[in-house]
Amino acid sequence: MKLAILGSGPGGYVAAVRAAQLGAQVTVIEEKIIGGNCLNWGCIPTKILVSSSEMLSKAKRLQEFGIEMNGVISPNFSKILGRKDRIVSTQAKGIRNLFKMHGVTYKEGRGQLISPSQISVALTDGSSETVKTDRTILATGSRVYELPGFPYDGKHILSTEDVFKMAAIPKSLIIIGAGVSGCEFACIFRQLGTDVTLIEKMPRALTAEDSEISEIFEREMRKRGIRFLANSTIDRVDIQNSGLRILLADRREIRAEKALVSVGRALNSDGVGLENIGVRIGACGEIIVNEKMETDVSGVYAIGDVTGNRMLAHVASAEGSVAAKNSIGGEERMDYSAVPSAIFTTPEIASVGFSEQKAVELGISVRSGHFQFRALAKSHIIGEIDGMIKVVSHETSDKVLGVHIIGPHATELIHEAVLAISQGLTTRDISKIMHAHPTLSEVLQEAAADVHREAIHGPKN
Amino acid sequence: MNPDDLKYHKEHTWLRTSGKKVTIGITNYAQDALGDIVYIDLPEVDAETEANSEIGEIESTKATSSIISPVSGKIVQVNDDLSETPEIINDDPYGKGWIAVIEIDDASELDDLMDASEYAKYVEEEAK
Repeated sequence: MKLAILGSGPGGYVAAVRAAQLGAQVTVIEEKIIGGNCLNWGCIPTKILVSSSEMLSKAKRLQEFGIEMNGVISPNFSKILGRKDRIVSTQAKGIRNLFKMHGVTYKEGRGQLISPSQISVALTDGSSETVKTDRTILATGSRVYELPGFPYDGKHILSTEDVFKMAAIPKSLIIIGAGVSGCEFACIFRQLGTDVTLIEKMPRALTAEDSEISEIFEREMRKRGIRFLANSTIDRVDIQNSGLRILLADRREIRAEKALVSVGRALNSDGVGLENIGVRIGACGEIIVNEKMETDVSGVYAIGDVTGNRMLAHVASAEGSVAAKNSIGGEERMDYSAVPSAIFTTPEIASVGFSEQKAVELGISVRSGHFQFRALAKSHIIGEIDGMIKVVSHETSDKVLGVHIIGPHATELIHEAVLAISQGLTTRDISKIMHAHPTLSEVLQEAAADVHREAIHGPKN
Repeated sequence: MNPDDLKYHKEHTWLRTSGKKVTIGITNYAQDALGDIVYIDLPEVDAETEANSEIGEIESTKATSSIISPVSGKIVQVNDDLSETPEIINDDPYGKGWIAVIEIDDASELDDLMDASEYAKYVEEEAK
Protein backbone atom coordinates (compact mmCIF):
# COMPACT_ATOMS: atom_id res chain seq x y z
CA MET A 1 0.00 0.00 0.00
CA LYS A 2 1.41 3.37 -1.04
CA LEU A 3 0.55 6.32 1.18
CA ALA A 4 1.39 9.95 0.45
CA ILE A 5 1.19 12.57 3.22
CA LEU A 6 1.14 16.31 2.56
CA GLY A 7 2.76 18.05 5.51
CA SER A 8 5.30 16.96 8.12
CA GLY A 9 3.95 18.66 11.24
CA PRO A 10 2.87 16.73 14.34
CA GLY A 11 -0.06 15.37 12.32
CA GLY A 12 1.82 14.36 9.20
CA TYR A 13 4.98 12.91 10.67
CA VAL A 14 3.14 10.84 13.29
CA ALA A 15 0.80 9.51 10.60
CA ALA A 16 3.87 8.64 8.48
CA VAL A 17 5.61 6.69 11.23
CA ARG A 18 2.41 4.92 12.29
CA ALA A 19 1.55 3.91 8.70
CA ALA A 20 5.12 2.70 8.14
CA GLN A 21 4.92 0.63 11.33
CA LEU A 22 1.78 -0.94 9.86
CA GLY A 23 3.56 -1.81 6.64
CA ALA A 24 2.67 1.05 4.28
CA GLN A 25 5.17 2.50 1.81
CA VAL A 26 5.07 6.14 2.87
CA THR A 27 6.11 9.39 1.15
CA VAL A 28 5.92 12.68 3.05
CA ILE A 29 5.83 15.90 1.04
CA GLU A 30 6.65 19.08 2.97
CA GLU A 31 6.38 22.52 1.43
CA LYS A 32 8.36 24.46 4.03
CA ILE A 33 10.37 22.93 6.86
CA ILE A 34 10.22 19.52 8.49
CA GLY A 35 8.19 19.57 11.70
CA GLY A 36 5.67 22.15 10.53
CA ASN A 37 4.36 25.05 12.54
CA CYS A 38 4.61 23.22 15.88
CA LEU A 39 8.35 22.69 15.68
CA ASN A 40 9.40 25.81 13.82
CA TRP A 41 7.15 28.68 14.93
CA GLY A 42 4.63 27.31 17.39
CA CYS A 43 4.68 24.93 20.35
CA ILE A 44 8.39 24.31 20.57
CA PRO A 45 9.95 27.77 19.98
CA THR A 46 7.41 29.54 22.18
CA LYS A 47 8.01 27.12 25.04
CA ILE A 48 11.73 27.75 24.69
CA LEU A 49 11.00 31.46 25.19
CA VAL A 50 8.84 30.55 28.18
CA SER A 51 11.73 28.57 29.69
CA SER A 52 14.17 31.45 29.35
CA SER A 53 11.72 34.00 30.71
CA GLU A 54 10.84 31.82 33.69
CA MET A 55 14.50 31.11 34.32
CA LEU A 56 15.04 34.86 34.54
CA SER A 57 12.11 35.29 36.94
CA LYS A 58 13.49 32.51 39.12
CA ALA A 59 16.99 33.96 39.06
CA LYS A 60 15.58 37.23 40.36
CA ARG A 61 14.23 35.34 43.37
CA LEU A 62 17.50 33.61 44.32
CA GLN A 63 17.86 35.54 47.56
CA GLU A 64 14.42 34.44 48.67
CA PHE A 65 15.75 30.88 48.51
CA GLY A 66 18.83 31.74 50.50
CA ILE A 67 21.24 32.00 47.62
CA GLU A 68 23.45 35.06 47.37
CA MET A 69 23.98 36.43 43.92
CA ASN A 70 26.54 39.08 43.17
CA GLY A 71 26.20 40.36 39.66
CA VAL A 72 23.75 41.43 37.05
CA ILE A 73 21.10 39.12 35.60
CA SER A 74 19.75 40.16 32.25
CA PRO A 75 18.25 38.43 29.22
CA ASN A 76 20.06 38.35 25.87
CA PHE A 77 17.49 37.81 23.15
CA SER A 78 19.89 36.69 20.44
CA LYS A 79 21.32 34.06 22.77
CA ILE A 80 17.83 32.92 23.70
CA LEU A 81 17.07 32.57 19.98
CA GLY A 82 20.36 30.74 19.48
CA ARG A 83 19.29 28.21 22.07
CA LYS A 84 15.93 27.97 20.34
CA ASP A 85 17.59 27.24 16.98
CA ARG A 86 19.74 24.48 18.48
CA ILE A 87 16.77 22.75 20.11
CA VAL A 88 14.61 23.04 17.00
CA SER A 89 17.37 21.64 14.85
CA THR A 90 17.87 18.68 17.21
CA GLN A 91 14.15 17.95 17.08
CA ALA A 92 14.10 18.29 13.27
CA LYS A 93 16.97 15.82 13.04
CA GLY A 94 14.95 13.53 15.29
CA ILE A 95 12.05 13.51 12.82
CA ARG A 96 14.39 12.88 9.86
CA ASN A 97 15.89 9.96 11.78
CA LEU A 98 12.43 8.56 12.50
CA PHE A 99 11.69 8.73 8.78
CA LYS A 100 14.96 6.98 7.97
CA MET A 101 14.39 4.32 10.61
CA HIS A 102 10.91 3.55 9.28
CA GLY A 103 11.82 3.81 5.59
CA VAL A 104 9.66 6.89 5.02
CA THR A 105 10.59 8.88 1.88
CA TYR A 106 10.78 12.62 2.57
CA LYS A 107 10.50 15.25 -0.17
CA GLU A 108 10.64 19.01 0.21
CA GLY A 109 8.39 20.84 -2.22
CA ARG A 110 4.83 21.86 -2.90
CA GLY A 111 2.48 18.96 -3.50
CA GLN A 112 -0.65 19.30 -5.63
CA LEU A 113 -3.29 16.64 -6.05
CA ILE A 114 -3.90 15.94 -9.72
CA SER A 115 -6.08 12.91 -9.09
CA PRO A 116 -6.76 10.75 -6.01
CA SER A 117 -3.75 8.65 -7.01
CA GLN A 118 -1.36 11.27 -8.37
CA ILE A 119 0.41 14.15 -6.68
CA SER A 120 2.64 16.49 -8.60
CA VAL A 121 5.45 17.89 -6.51
CA ALA A 122 7.28 21.13 -7.33
CA LEU A 123 10.50 20.35 -5.49
CA THR A 124 12.45 23.10 -3.76
CA ASP A 125 15.40 22.52 -6.11
CA GLY A 126 13.22 23.69 -8.99
CA SER A 127 12.55 20.28 -10.53
CA SER A 128 9.25 18.50 -10.37
CA GLU A 129 7.99 14.95 -10.18
CA THR A 130 4.79 12.99 -9.82
CA VAL A 131 4.21 10.78 -6.80
CA LYS A 132 1.86 7.85 -7.37
CA THR A 133 -0.17 6.79 -4.40
CA ASP A 134 -3.02 4.55 -3.27
CA ARG A 135 -4.05 6.68 -0.28
CA THR A 136 -3.40 10.28 0.71
CA ILE A 137 -3.41 12.08 4.04
CA LEU A 138 -3.74 15.88 3.94
CA ALA A 139 -1.89 17.38 6.88
CA THR A 140 -1.20 20.82 5.47
CA GLY A 141 -1.93 22.70 8.69
CA SER A 142 -2.57 26.41 9.08
CA ARG A 143 -0.75 29.71 8.78
CA VAL A 144 -0.81 33.06 10.55
CA TYR A 145 -3.98 34.99 9.88
CA GLU A 146 -3.68 38.59 8.80
CA LEU A 147 -6.15 40.92 10.48
CA PRO A 148 -7.73 43.27 7.92
CA GLY A 149 -6.21 46.74 8.27
CA PHE A 150 -3.30 45.28 10.19
CA PRO A 151 -0.76 44.13 7.60
CA TYR A 152 2.34 42.51 9.02
CA ASP A 153 5.45 44.55 8.28
CA GLY A 154 7.79 42.53 10.49
CA LYS A 155 9.01 45.75 12.06
CA HIS A 156 6.14 47.40 13.91
CA ILE A 157 3.32 44.95 13.35
CA LEU A 158 4.44 41.43 14.01
CA SER A 159 2.94 38.02 13.42
CA THR A 160 3.62 35.24 15.92
CA GLU A 161 6.35 34.11 13.51
CA ASP A 162 7.99 37.55 13.27
CA VAL A 163 8.66 37.46 17.01
CA PHE A 164 11.50 35.06 16.35
CA LYS A 165 13.15 37.53 13.97
CA MET A 166 13.30 40.44 16.41
CA ALA A 167 16.79 41.73 17.13
CA ALA A 168 16.09 42.58 20.74
CA ILE A 169 13.45 42.45 23.44
CA PRO A 170 11.06 45.37 22.83
CA LYS A 171 10.69 47.96 25.58
CA SER A 172 6.95 47.98 25.07
CA LEU A 173 4.59 45.67 23.24
CA ILE A 174 0.88 45.66 22.43
CA ILE A 175 -0.51 42.17 21.97
CA ILE A 176 -3.77 41.88 20.08
CA GLY A 177 -5.85 38.87 21.06
CA ALA A 178 -5.94 37.24 24.50
CA GLY A 179 -6.23 33.68 23.24
CA VAL A 180 -3.69 31.01 24.06
CA SER A 181 -0.71 32.40 22.20
CA GLY A 182 -1.49 36.04 23.00
CA CYS A 183 -1.54 35.23 26.71
CA GLU A 184 1.61 33.13 26.45
CA PHE A 185 3.49 35.92 24.69
CA ALA A 186 2.22 38.46 27.23
CA CYS A 187 3.71 36.40 30.07
CA ILE A 188 6.95 35.73 28.18
CA PHE A 189 7.69 39.35 27.34
CA ARG A 190 6.55 40.73 30.68
CA GLN A 191 9.03 38.45 32.42
CA LEU A 192 11.73 39.53 29.97
CA GLY A 193 11.09 43.11 31.10
CA THR A 194 8.76 44.42 28.38
CA ASP A 195 5.91 46.78 29.19
CA VAL A 196 2.98 44.67 27.89
CA THR A 197 -0.58 45.70 27.00
CA LEU A 198 -2.90 42.86 26.00
CA ILE A 199 -6.03 43.80 24.05
CA GLU A 200 -9.06 41.52 23.69
CA LYS A 201 -12.42 42.21 22.07
CA MET A 202 -14.21 39.61 24.22
CA PRO A 203 -15.09 40.28 27.88
CA ARG A 204 -12.39 37.95 29.23
CA ALA A 205 -9.07 36.33 28.44
CA LEU A 206 -8.91 32.69 27.32
CA THR A 207 -12.62 32.40 26.55
CA ALA A 208 -12.34 28.66 25.87
CA GLU A 209 -11.38 28.02 29.49
CA ASP A 210 -13.64 27.84 32.56
CA SER A 211 -14.51 31.41 33.60
CA GLU A 212 -13.06 30.95 37.11
CA ILE A 213 -9.72 30.13 35.50
CA SER A 214 -9.84 33.24 33.28
CA GLU A 215 -10.68 35.35 36.31
CA ILE A 216 -7.67 34.10 38.26
CA PHE A 217 -5.42 34.42 35.22
CA GLU A 218 -6.48 38.04 34.76
CA ARG A 219 -5.54 38.68 38.38
CA GLU A 220 -2.19 36.96 37.87
CA MET A 221 -1.59 39.26 34.90
CA ARG A 222 -2.36 42.31 37.05
CA LYS A 223 0.03 41.03 39.72
CA ARG A 224 2.78 40.73 37.17
CA GLY A 225 2.12 44.13 35.68
CA ILE A 226 0.51 43.10 32.39
CA ARG A 227 -2.09 45.65 31.36
CA PHE A 228 -5.14 43.73 30.15
CA LEU A 229 -7.91 45.53 28.25
CA ALA A 230 -11.02 43.40 27.73
CA ASN A 231 -14.00 44.44 25.59
CA SER A 232 -11.64 46.51 23.46
CA THR A 233 -11.66 46.89 19.72
CA ILE A 234 -9.14 48.73 17.63
CA ASP A 235 -10.21 51.75 15.68
CA ARG A 236 -6.98 52.91 14.11
CA VAL A 237 -3.29 52.17 13.97
CA ASP A 238 -0.67 54.81 13.24
CA ILE A 239 2.86 53.76 12.55
CA GLN A 240 5.35 56.33 13.77
CA ASN A 241 9.12 56.46 13.68
CA SER A 242 9.61 55.32 17.21
CA GLY A 243 6.83 52.78 17.25
CA LEU A 244 3.11 52.79 16.85
CA ARG A 245 -0.03 54.27 18.30
CA ILE A 246 -3.27 52.35 18.59
CA LEU A 247 -6.55 54.10 19.02
CA LEU A 248 -9.28 52.00 20.61
CA ALA A 249 -12.95 52.32 19.75
CA ASP A 250 -13.55 53.88 23.19
CA ARG A 251 -11.01 56.62 22.27
CA ARG A 252 -8.28 55.32 24.54
CA GLU A 253 -4.83 55.60 23.04
CA ILE A 254 -1.97 53.16 23.54
CA ARG A 255 1.58 53.58 22.34
CA ALA A 256 4.23 50.91 22.07
CA GLU A 257 7.39 50.03 20.23
CA LYS A 258 5.74 47.06 18.50
CA ALA A 259 2.42 45.27 18.18
CA LEU A 260 2.03 41.51 18.01
CA VAL A 261 -1.12 40.18 16.38
CA SER A 262 -2.36 36.85 17.64
CA VAL A 263 -5.89 36.37 16.39
CA GLY A 264 -6.41 32.91 15.04
CA ARG A 265 -5.11 31.11 11.99
CA ALA A 266 -5.94 30.61 8.33
CA LEU A 267 -6.29 27.04 7.07
CA ASN A 268 -4.01 25.65 4.37
CA SER A 269 -6.69 24.01 2.27
CA ASP A 270 -6.03 26.24 -0.74
CA GLY A 271 -3.43 25.65 -3.42
CA VAL A 272 -3.09 21.92 -2.95
CA GLY A 273 -5.46 20.90 -5.75
CA LEU A 274 -8.39 19.77 -3.62
CA GLU A 275 -10.74 21.08 -6.29
CA ASN A 276 -9.14 18.68 -8.81
CA ILE A 277 -10.42 15.66 -6.92
CA GLY A 278 -13.56 17.08 -5.30
CA VAL A 279 -12.60 17.18 -1.62
CA ARG A 280 -15.33 19.11 0.21
CA ILE A 281 -14.37 22.26 2.08
CA GLY A 282 -16.42 24.13 4.71
CA ALA A 283 -17.14 27.83 5.05
CA CYS A 284 -13.90 28.60 6.92
CA GLY A 285 -11.75 26.64 4.51
CA GLU A 286 -11.76 23.52 6.68
CA ILE A 287 -11.57 20.14 5.00
CA ILE A 288 -14.67 18.17 5.95
CA VAL A 289 -13.90 14.72 7.36
CA ASN A 290 -15.84 11.96 9.07
CA GLU A 291 -14.84 10.43 12.41
CA LYS A 292 -12.49 8.09 10.57
CA MET A 293 -10.70 11.25 9.33
CA GLU A 294 -11.69 10.44 5.74
CA THR A 295 -12.82 13.17 3.36
CA ASP A 296 -15.70 12.79 0.89
CA VAL A 297 -13.21 11.29 -1.54
CA SER A 298 -12.56 7.67 -0.67
CA GLY A 299 -8.95 7.01 0.28
CA VAL A 300 -8.19 10.69 0.94
CA TYR A 301 -7.89 11.64 4.61
CA ALA A 302 -7.31 14.95 6.36
CA ILE A 303 -5.93 15.59 9.85
CA GLY A 304 -4.81 18.43 12.10
CA ASP A 305 -5.43 22.16 11.82
CA VAL A 306 -6.67 21.99 8.22
CA THR A 307 -9.78 20.09 9.38
CA GLY A 308 -10.74 23.08 11.54
CA ASN A 309 -10.95 20.86 14.64
CA ARG A 310 -9.20 21.92 17.82
CA MET A 311 -5.88 23.30 16.67
CA LEU A 312 -3.59 21.40 18.96
CA ALA A 313 -0.49 19.42 18.01
CA HIS A 314 -1.52 16.43 20.10
CA VAL A 315 -4.96 16.37 18.47
CA ALA A 316 -3.26 16.36 15.05
CA SER A 317 -1.02 13.47 16.15
CA ALA A 318 -3.98 11.44 17.43
CA GLU A 319 -5.89 12.12 14.22
CA GLY A 320 -2.76 11.18 12.24
CA SER A 321 -2.60 7.88 13.98
CA VAL A 322 -6.28 7.17 13.29
CA ALA A 323 -5.98 8.21 9.63
CA ALA A 324 -2.85 6.09 9.19
CA LYS A 325 -4.56 2.97 10.50
CA ASN A 326 -7.68 3.58 8.45
CA SER A 327 -5.70 4.26 5.29
CA ILE A 328 -4.45 0.70 5.36
CA GLY A 329 -7.86 -0.78 6.03
CA GLY A 330 -8.53 -0.06 9.71
CA GLU A 331 -11.83 1.04 11.22
CA GLU A 332 -10.66 3.47 13.91
CA ARG A 333 -12.74 6.44 15.01
CA MET A 334 -11.45 9.65 16.58
CA ASP A 335 -12.48 10.21 20.18
CA TYR A 336 -12.38 13.82 21.36
CA SER A 337 -13.89 13.21 24.81
CA ALA A 338 -10.66 13.73 26.72
CA VAL A 339 -8.53 16.30 24.91
CA PRO A 340 -6.10 18.09 27.22
CA SER A 341 -5.41 21.74 26.65
CA ALA A 342 -2.09 23.10 27.88
CA ILE A 343 -1.37 26.82 28.08
CA PHE A 344 2.16 27.86 28.97
CA THR A 345 1.39 31.10 30.69
CA THR A 346 2.79 32.04 34.10
CA PRO A 347 1.24 30.37 36.00
CA GLU A 348 0.42 27.55 33.62
CA ILE A 349 -3.15 26.65 32.72
CA ALA A 350 -4.46 23.25 31.67
CA SER A 351 -7.84 21.67 31.31
CA VAL A 352 -9.70 18.65 30.05
CA GLY A 353 -13.40 17.98 29.56
CA PHE A 354 -16.29 20.30 30.27
CA SER A 355 -16.09 23.66 31.93
CA GLU A 356 -18.85 24.24 34.47
CA GLN A 357 -20.49 26.74 32.09
CA LYS A 358 -20.44 24.24 29.20
CA ALA A 359 -21.97 21.48 31.34
CA VAL A 360 -24.74 23.80 32.53
CA GLU A 361 -25.33 24.91 28.94
CA LEU A 362 -25.81 21.26 27.99
CA GLY A 363 -28.31 20.81 30.82
CA ILE A 364 -26.06 18.52 32.88
CA SER A 365 -26.36 18.82 36.67
CA VAL A 366 -22.90 19.13 38.11
CA ARG A 367 -21.02 19.51 41.35
CA SER A 368 -17.65 21.13 41.68
CA GLY A 369 -14.68 20.92 43.98
CA HIS A 370 -11.87 23.42 44.33
CA PHE A 371 -8.45 23.39 45.88
CA GLN A 372 -5.83 26.09 46.14
CA PHE A 373 -2.18 25.39 45.45
CA ARG A 374 -1.25 27.58 48.42
CA ALA A 375 -2.80 25.01 50.77
CA LEU A 376 -0.14 22.47 49.73
CA ALA A 377 3.27 22.20 51.34
CA LYS A 378 4.94 21.51 47.98
CA SER A 379 3.78 24.84 46.56
CA HIS A 380 5.49 26.65 49.43
CA ILE A 381 8.60 24.51 49.05
CA ILE A 382 9.03 25.50 45.40
CA GLY A 383 7.84 29.04 46.06
CA GLU A 384 4.90 28.92 43.65
CA ILE A 385 1.69 29.25 45.62
CA ASP A 386 -0.57 30.96 43.08
CA GLY A 387 -3.45 29.17 41.46
CA MET A 388 -6.09 26.54 42.00
CA ILE A 389 -7.71 23.44 40.57
CA LYS A 390 -11.38 22.90 39.90
CA VAL A 391 -13.04 19.54 39.37
CA VAL A 392 -16.45 19.39 37.71
CA SER A 393 -18.35 16.15 38.20
CA HIS A 394 -21.73 14.68 37.32
CA GLU A 395 -24.13 15.26 40.18
CA THR A 396 -25.55 11.75 40.33
CA SER A 397 -22.96 9.43 38.78
CA ASP A 398 -20.04 11.36 40.36
CA LYS A 399 -18.04 10.82 37.15
CA VAL A 400 -15.39 13.42 36.46
CA LEU A 401 -16.58 15.65 33.60
CA GLY A 402 -13.92 18.33 33.59
CA VAL A 403 -10.77 19.41 35.38
CA HIS A 404 -9.34 22.92 35.18
CA ILE A 405 -6.01 23.92 36.61
CA ILE A 406 -4.15 27.20 36.91
CA GLY A 407 -0.92 26.89 38.82
CA PRO A 408 2.62 25.51 38.82
CA HIS A 409 3.14 22.60 36.40
CA ALA A 410 -0.55 22.56 35.48
CA THR A 411 0.34 21.27 32.01
CA GLU A 412 1.90 18.15 33.54
CA LEU A 413 -0.67 17.69 36.31
CA ILE A 414 -3.59 17.58 33.87
CA HIS A 415 -2.79 14.10 32.60
CA GLU A 416 -4.08 12.30 35.66
CA ALA A 417 -7.38 14.03 34.94
CA VAL A 418 -7.21 13.04 31.25
CA LEU A 419 -6.83 9.42 32.35
CA ALA A 420 -9.71 9.79 34.83
CA ILE A 421 -12.09 11.22 32.23
CA SER A 422 -11.11 8.80 29.48
CA GLN A 423 -11.66 5.87 31.85
CA GLY A 424 -14.89 7.19 33.36
CA LEU A 425 -13.54 7.49 36.91
CA THR A 426 -15.49 9.20 39.70
CA THR A 427 -14.24 11.86 42.09
CA ARG A 428 -14.45 9.22 44.88
CA ASP A 429 -12.11 7.00 42.82
CA ILE A 430 -9.57 9.82 42.59
CA SER A 431 -9.76 10.85 46.22
CA LYS A 432 -9.14 7.24 47.27
CA ILE A 433 -6.00 6.86 45.11
CA MET A 434 -2.81 7.51 47.09
CA HIS A 435 -0.86 10.57 46.00
CA ALA A 436 2.75 10.90 47.12
CA HIS A 437 3.55 13.64 49.62
CA PRO A 438 4.79 16.30 49.27
CA THR A 439 3.87 16.74 45.59
CA LEU A 440 1.79 19.13 43.54
CA SER A 441 -0.26 16.13 42.38
CA GLU A 442 -2.04 16.23 45.72
CA VAL A 443 -4.19 19.08 44.34
CA LEU A 444 -6.32 16.72 42.25
CA GLN A 445 -6.92 14.35 45.14
CA GLU A 446 -7.94 17.25 47.39
CA ALA A 447 -10.18 18.90 44.79
CA ALA A 448 -11.87 15.56 44.08
CA ALA A 449 -12.47 15.20 47.84
CA ASP A 450 -13.75 18.78 47.96
CA VAL A 451 -16.56 17.83 45.57
CA HIS A 452 -17.97 16.07 48.65
CA ARG A 453 -16.57 18.72 51.00
CA GLU A 454 -14.05 16.22 52.34
CA ALA A 455 -10.74 17.87 51.46
CA ILE A 456 -8.24 17.45 54.28
CA HIS A 457 -6.48 20.77 53.80
CA GLY A 458 -9.50 22.71 52.61
CA PRO A 459 -11.65 25.18 54.49
CA LYS A 460 -14.12 23.79 57.03
CA ASN A 461 -17.65 23.61 55.69
CA MET B 1 -8.91 45.04 70.54
CA ASN B 2 -11.50 46.18 67.98
CA PRO B 3 -11.68 49.98 68.10
CA ASP B 4 -14.92 51.25 69.63
CA ASP B 5 -15.34 54.12 67.17
CA LEU B 6 -15.72 51.77 64.18
CA LYS B 7 -18.62 49.79 62.78
CA TYR B 8 -18.28 46.18 61.69
CA HIS B 9 -19.75 44.01 58.95
CA LYS B 10 -20.35 40.25 59.13
CA GLU B 11 -17.84 39.62 56.33
CA HIS B 12 -15.13 40.98 58.63
CA THR B 13 -14.71 44.47 57.31
CA TRP B 14 -14.67 47.58 59.46
CA LEU B 15 -15.90 51.10 58.63
CA ARG B 16 -14.92 54.53 59.84
CA THR B 17 -17.59 57.09 58.99
CA SER B 18 -16.88 60.69 58.13
CA GLY B 19 -19.94 62.41 56.70
CA LYS B 20 -20.95 60.66 53.48
CA LYS B 21 -17.57 58.98 53.22
CA VAL B 22 -16.61 55.73 54.89
CA THR B 23 -13.15 54.25 55.08
CA ILE B 24 -13.09 50.48 55.08
CA GLY B 25 -10.58 47.75 55.86
CA ILE B 26 -10.49 44.18 57.11
CA THR B 27 -10.62 43.40 60.82
CA ASN B 28 -7.84 42.12 63.01
CA TYR B 29 -9.68 38.80 63.22
CA ALA B 30 -9.71 38.55 59.39
CA GLN B 31 -6.04 39.39 58.96
CA ASP B 32 -5.10 36.92 61.66
CA ALA B 33 -7.20 34.16 60.09
CA LEU B 34 -5.67 34.84 56.66
CA GLY B 35 -2.08 34.88 57.85
CA ASP B 36 0.71 36.58 55.91
CA ILE B 37 -0.92 38.70 53.22
CA VAL B 38 1.01 38.61 49.95
CA TYR B 39 -1.26 40.34 47.44
CA ILE B 40 -4.34 42.48 47.28
CA ASP B 41 -6.51 43.13 44.27
CA LEU B 42 -7.81 46.61 45.01
CA PRO B 43 -11.13 47.94 43.72
CA GLU B 44 -11.03 50.56 40.99
CA VAL B 45 -11.61 54.19 41.85
CA ASP B 46 -14.99 55.42 40.55
CA ALA B 47 -16.43 51.89 40.55
CA GLU B 48 -19.93 51.56 41.96
CA THR B 49 -20.49 48.88 44.54
CA GLU B 50 -23.41 47.25 46.31
CA ALA B 51 -23.47 46.24 49.96
CA ASN B 52 -22.39 42.59 50.42
CA SER B 53 -20.75 42.39 47.01
CA GLU B 54 -17.15 41.60 46.22
CA ILE B 55 -14.91 44.59 45.60
CA GLY B 56 -11.50 42.95 45.69
CA GLU B 57 -9.49 39.95 46.67
CA ILE B 58 -6.84 39.34 49.29
CA GLU B 59 -4.28 36.58 48.98
CA SER B 60 -2.29 35.28 51.90
CA THR B 61 0.22 32.46 51.95
CA LYS B 62 -2.58 30.15 53.14
CA ALA B 63 -5.77 31.32 51.46
CA THR B 64 -7.50 33.73 49.12
CA SER B 65 -10.46 35.70 50.32
CA SER B 66 -12.91 38.16 48.81
CA ILE B 67 -13.18 41.68 50.18
CA ILE B 68 -16.89 42.27 50.69
CA SER B 69 -18.21 45.80 50.63
CA PRO B 70 -20.24 46.57 53.77
CA VAL B 71 -22.15 49.41 52.07
CA SER B 72 -23.42 50.57 48.67
CA GLY B 73 -21.81 53.53 46.98
CA LYS B 74 -18.93 54.73 44.87
CA ILE B 75 -15.27 53.93 45.50
CA VAL B 76 -13.60 57.33 45.73
CA GLN B 77 -10.14 56.37 46.97
CA VAL B 78 -8.03 53.24 47.38
CA ASN B 79 -4.90 52.62 49.43
CA ASP B 80 -2.29 52.27 46.69
CA ASP B 81 0.45 51.56 49.25
CA LEU B 82 -1.05 48.10 49.59
CA SER B 83 -0.14 47.19 45.99
CA GLU B 84 3.54 47.09 46.86
CA THR B 85 3.32 46.28 50.56
CA PRO B 86 0.09 44.39 51.30
CA GLU B 87 1.58 43.15 54.57
CA ILE B 88 0.69 46.54 56.10
CA ILE B 89 -2.75 44.98 56.60
CA ASN B 90 -1.22 42.39 58.94
CA ASP B 91 0.72 45.04 60.84
CA ASP B 92 -1.94 47.71 61.15
CA PRO B 93 -5.39 46.54 59.99
CA TYR B 94 -7.27 49.51 61.47
CA GLY B 95 -4.77 52.19 60.51
CA LYS B 96 -2.28 52.17 57.62
CA GLY B 97 -3.89 48.99 56.34
CA TRP B 98 -7.13 50.71 55.31
CA ILE B 99 -8.34 49.50 51.89
CA ALA B 100 -10.73 52.00 50.34
CA VAL B 101 -12.95 55.02 50.84
CA ILE B 102 -16.56 54.67 49.70
CA GLU B 103 -19.02 57.50 49.24
CA ILE B 104 -22.23 55.97 50.52
CA ASP B 105 -25.60 56.14 48.79
CA ASP B 106 -27.80 55.35 51.74
CA ALA B 107 -26.71 56.16 55.29
CA SER B 108 -29.40 53.88 56.70
CA GLU B 109 -27.30 50.89 55.64
CA LEU B 110 -24.96 51.81 58.48
CA ASP B 111 -27.69 50.96 60.96
CA ASP B 112 -27.48 47.28 60.00
CA LEU B 113 -23.83 47.04 61.06
CA MET B 114 -22.37 45.86 64.34
CA ASP B 115 -20.54 47.86 66.97
CA ALA B 116 -17.28 46.63 68.51
CA SER B 117 -18.81 44.54 71.27
CA GLU B 118 -21.41 42.98 68.96
CA TYR B 119 -18.66 42.11 66.51
CA ALA B 120 -16.55 40.55 69.28
CA LYS B 121 -19.48 38.31 70.19
CA TYR B 122 -20.12 37.51 66.52
CA VAL B 123 -16.52 36.40 66.03
CA GLU B 124 -16.65 34.29 69.17
CA GLU B 125 -19.76 32.54 67.87
CA GLU B 126 -18.23 32.01 64.44
CA ALA B 127 -15.08 30.48 65.91
CA LYS B 128 -17.10 27.82 67.74
